[in-house]
Amino acid sequence: MNLSRVILHATLVVLTAAGIPVLQAGEYNAVVNIGAPMPEFSELPATDGTTLSSSDLTEEVVVLVFLANHCPWVQGMDGDLVKLGRAVQSDKVRIVGVSVNHREDDRLEAMKEHAAHAGYNFTYLYDETQELGRKLGATRTPEYYVFDKNRSLVYMGLLHNSPASKRRDGTIHYTEGEPTEFYVADAVRALLAGEEVTAEETRAHGCSVEYEQDQAR
Amino acid sequence: MRERVAVALLALCLTVAIGCAPTPAPSGGPGSATPPESSTPDEWQARLAPVTFDAWVDELSALKGQIVVVDMWATWCLPCIERFPHMVELANEYRGRGVTFVSLCLDDRDDEAALSLAESFLTEQQATFPNFLMDEVVTRAFEKLGLLGIPAVFIYEPAGDLRYRLTGDDPNNQFTDADVEKAIEELLEEIDPGIPAMRAWVSRDVDTSV
Repeated sequence: MNLSRVILHATLVVLTAAGIPVLQAGEYNAVVNIGAPMPEFSELPATDGTTLSSSDLTEEVVVLVFLANHCPWVQGMDGDLVKLGRAVQSDKVRIVGVSVNHREDDRLEAMKEHAAHAGYNFTYLYDETQELGRKLGATRTPEYYVFDKNRSLVYMGLLHNSPASKRRDGTIHYTEGEPTEFYVADAVRALLAGEEVTAEETRAHGCSVEYEQDQAR
Repeated sequence: MRERVAVALLALCLTVAIGCAPTPAPSGGPGSATPPESSTPDEWQARLAPVTFDAWVDELSALKGQIVVVDMWATWCLPCIERFPHMVELANEYRGRGVTFVSLCLDDRDDEAALSLAESFLTEQQATFPNFLMDEVVTRAFEKLGLLGIPAVFIYEPAGDLRYRLTGDDPNNQFTDADVEKAIEELLEEIDPGIPAMRAWVSRDVDTSV
């Protein structure tokens, strides 16, 4: 982590702790920018019947990914997400999926079914309060956030450079052909190697996350 | 609202269930996206007119002089499907008042099943305004349009400038159906400040006892 990012992170932590709203928009994110602290969360229910709090995360690297069962862009990328889990998850790296939508097919019961069907190999949480997504400005699914050991945001956006959707005939279609740049995997590897993360933000593509606006306005 | 959503989803589900019949060939040009004068609503079938991004800019330019409301949607976007009936209602409500409604579909241009479904849905909804399909790789279309996600509604003032960009980009300020109507009314009032007052006068309670 370079000096400017350390200073930015320290400033954000101080402001957040002081209860001062921090709005650092990224290029493709209306709420947070690189360097933002990972929001705390408490006892969110998971599809495996357990709960998870941010304080339970002890790994060096945490990947949060916002998902929605109903979304063809999530369904199209599920296989690649599971591959990511196989490739990078260890005692040093943790992937956590999060669903925040209120539509019935994105809620916990449907998530259990979807996780089993897609072979999810990571913790999949439901945040009915939508707070985690709100605080991170997560507006699309799938949308990835990679945090370092200080729980500072080092990457946000796409999994790789060719988003895929599941078509109505069940086939998976990659928009840009075979992926050639693997942003999340590269960010994780760079962190583990103590190197700079080169791609920090990309334009996530997928279905929009719907937030309750009566809580926002 | 809930009834409208249910109807829209039912229409989409029925379309999926019965399959998607091919729609007639267009008569040419973007005007083909609107119904011919002789057709009745029952006979009319929607047709997506493919446009590259550059052609889209030209289409918008050709609509200068009017308030233009662009609904950006796709069949894979459930909130778009749920909101669409409201756009049709608004299009009918503002017909003849200098407001043009246009839809821009962001389905995958190579996904024939999705495109056929889109046209069937537009037909079912009686979306008798121009309906375009962005003829670009979908992710690049989003980039060129400056979009992060859909549904999104862009509203252009008569001079052709983008005035309202209604999106879901900010979790704490996602647009609602009411925002679309409010934006149109604001623009109409700017064009003719007398209109809202006249409307209030027309819709006033009439004292029939006199």
